[in-house]
Amino acid sequence: MVLQLHVWGPAFNLPSIDAQCLAAIAYCSLTLPKGSWELVATSDPSVSPTGELPALQDDSTWVSRFRNIVDYLRQYSNGEWDLDGLLEGTARADTIAFSSFIESRGQTLIDLSLYVSSQNYYGNTSPAYGSLLQWPNQWILPPRLHSAAKARTEHLGLSSLDIQAMEEQRQREHSAAVAAGRVPKNLIPRPQDTVSKLLGRTAQHNHFRLEALTGEFFEPLEAMIGDKSYFLASSENDSPSSLDCIALGYLSLALVPELTFPWLRDAMRTKSPHLTAYTERMRRLCFGEQPVEIAHAFSPETAPSSLLPWRAPSRISAVAVSNTLLDTLAESLPLVRTLRSHNKLKEGAQSADAGLSDMEKKIVSQAADAGKNDLYASVATVVGGLAALVGYMFYIGMIRPTGSGDEEFVEEVEGEEEASVFDAGSATDFLGAGFSGFP
Amino acid sequence: MPTPTSDGSQTSSGPASFLRIPPPLKRLFDRFPLTTYPANDLPHRVPSKRADNQLFVFSDAAGARRGRPSFNPQCLKWQAYLKFVGVDFEITPSNNHASPTGALPFLLPAFPTEAAVTIPSHKLQKWAIEQVHCEEEQQLDLRFDVYASLLDHRIRNAWLYTLYLDDANFKSVAQRLYVNPSTTSSLVRASLAFQLQQAARDELLKTTSYIDVAAIEGDAQNAFEALSTLLAENEHFFGRPNPGLFDAAVFAYTHLILDEGLGWKHNRLAQMLRQHTNLVQHRERLLKFF
Repeated sequence: MVLQLHVWGPAFNLPSIDAQCLAAIAYCSLTLPKGSWELVATSDPSVSPTGELPALQDDSTWVSRFRNIVDYLRQYSNGEWDLDGLLEGTARADTIAFSSFIESRGQTLIDLSLYVSSQNYYGNTSPAYGSLLQWPNQWILPPRLHSAAKARTEHLGLSSLDIQAMEEQRQREHSAAVAAGRVPKNLIPRPQDTVSKLLGRTAQHNHFRLEALTGEFFEPLEAMIGDKSYFLASSENDSPSSLDCIALGYLSLALVPELTFPWLRDAMRTKSPHLTAYTERMRRLCFGEQPVEIAHAFSPETAPSSLLPWRAPSRISAVAVSNTLLDTLAESLPLVRTLRSHNKLKEGAQSADAGLSDMEKKIVSQAADAGKNDLYASVATVVGGLAALVGYMFYIGMIRPTGSGDEEFVEEVEGEEEASVFDAGSATDFLGAGFSGFP
Repeated sequence: MPTPTSDGSQTSSGPASFLRIPPPLKRLFDRFPLTTYPANDLPHRVPSKRADNQLFVFSDAAGARRGRPSFNPQCLKWQAYLKFVGVDFEITPSNNHASPTGALPFLLPAFPTEAAVTIPSHKLQKWAIEQVHCEEEQQLDLRFDVYASLLDHRIRNAWLYTLYLDDANFKSVAQRLYVNPSTTSSLVRASLAFQLQQAARDELLKTTSYIDVAAIEGDAQNAFEALSTLLAENEHFFGRPNPGLFDAAVFAYTHLILDEGLGWKHNRLAQMLRQHTNLVQHRERLLKFF
């Protein structure tokens, strides 16, 4: 069986739109011999039982996430397909630390650049997703990814990069200016000046914050790469490691995309020339000389002989479509969503490749069950409380059993009829008086 | 119902009458404010004369009196840092609601006493540098930020999982430390506990689509290994003669993970950590400061 790597599809001239997928593609193209693997632009996380991409499929075994894939490939080939086998001591510690650094800081910057900056999201990222996703995912997944990216970067206080609000403000100003000719002056709202001042200030504030964030990210990497060809290259060992794949994944998404508001690329080019050259070099080495186009992924025969063994994804089935729709529906119902988040934990523990001992599996499942029981308990409490309240109301006589209630109901209806008759009368009186008042 | 005559009288008075305040109202407003009360006194438990800087952390009253380490890693990091660089301060037990930023720790400096200026945790280092003129360690080594990301993400995620989502631990540690002191009502306790767990779960689900316990623990194991390699045979991180911010950040997690007094029921992190003797010894050396 040929190994299949399922990834998010190509965009921005790169083989994938997701940094982890790019890292996995780079790793596979550096380690696996040609013909032993295929690259499938599935772009649908629900194909993998873990619900994540990148996912490596080996017959019935699924492995997701970059690090798990690296581990799996090492075991699969008995240590042959492994870039980190020769690393020892400090180099090994550096791989771990720099990977964690690039994943955490790089993800933040890419979130800000591709998703939170509204100009880029609506001008570039969203259309890119539109062309690589199939129906109905193209309507469901991009908003979900967008809000996830916003949630991840919320703590930075840069939400004003999300220019939706600023754009609306500008349009309002514009329409006010257009209308100024026709509408009396005193009807145009005044506080425009202060708001634009405020926006000017946030733009500067954003500028400083972004400057600091990109500096914190690129400076240690620039110092680390120096003149070397790879991050951990030394005199006796001059070959790429898994750290280079991770770095390529995140840095190429910062450098390559042509965006409307290219602050991240500009920062990278000015702050870290060595890193920029390194990224270009690694990109050619792993993804080939030609820029990757979407057509390559969906009809591999049209692609020029590239490094990447594309295989066209199978058409999405009706079952998959209905599953996606059901999932989306379930996610948007409040209680069901909580229930599903408990299940997310449990699935992780019970899936075969999680690598937990039986004891641990049991404990994690118990924790998930207990969480669910909590939820059931709170639902039961609410229902019980309501029942008790209704019972009490019966007891003190606020609600009467239906036998005696009927009469009252009739009385009430009669009362209402009287009232409405009276109302009609008074209305006529009123109208009459009104008419009589006028000549 | 307005009559035509009253309508006519309104239009004849013109728009100027809208701007003029009716005389009775004007007389009333001229007499405002009627009385200005003096400001309330501070509660009695606030010391009338503050001699020391006050650091507000998660702690219990007994622990705070003796200056014991806080049980919250974020608080303990700053508590340890201020101790290491030699700033004098007192511990005040508190919670998130007391903080101007919504998060502990924060510091109320002794000077100036009049202006109530609080220093949130992200400005504590700058403040400490101004006070005792210690070094800003991030500038000295490019690996500082890189290795700090191990603590801020991998080890923190494992900590969140171990403390909040592992049910046995949550009941015996987190519930006792964070939930029970705030109220005696069991209903409120249950809801607070649920909120805490939900917050931890949301935090972990921010970066991944489901919580993979094996991956979290594997990441933590790698992180400890990298930190252990970084420390090597040195007394303190980056070969410094005195402990500093990075030591404080590592100590904040290693101390709490290895602290048997917290009552851990199921502590995988401690098993992993004990494999790295230099980290365990590092924690024991630093514990002598307390």
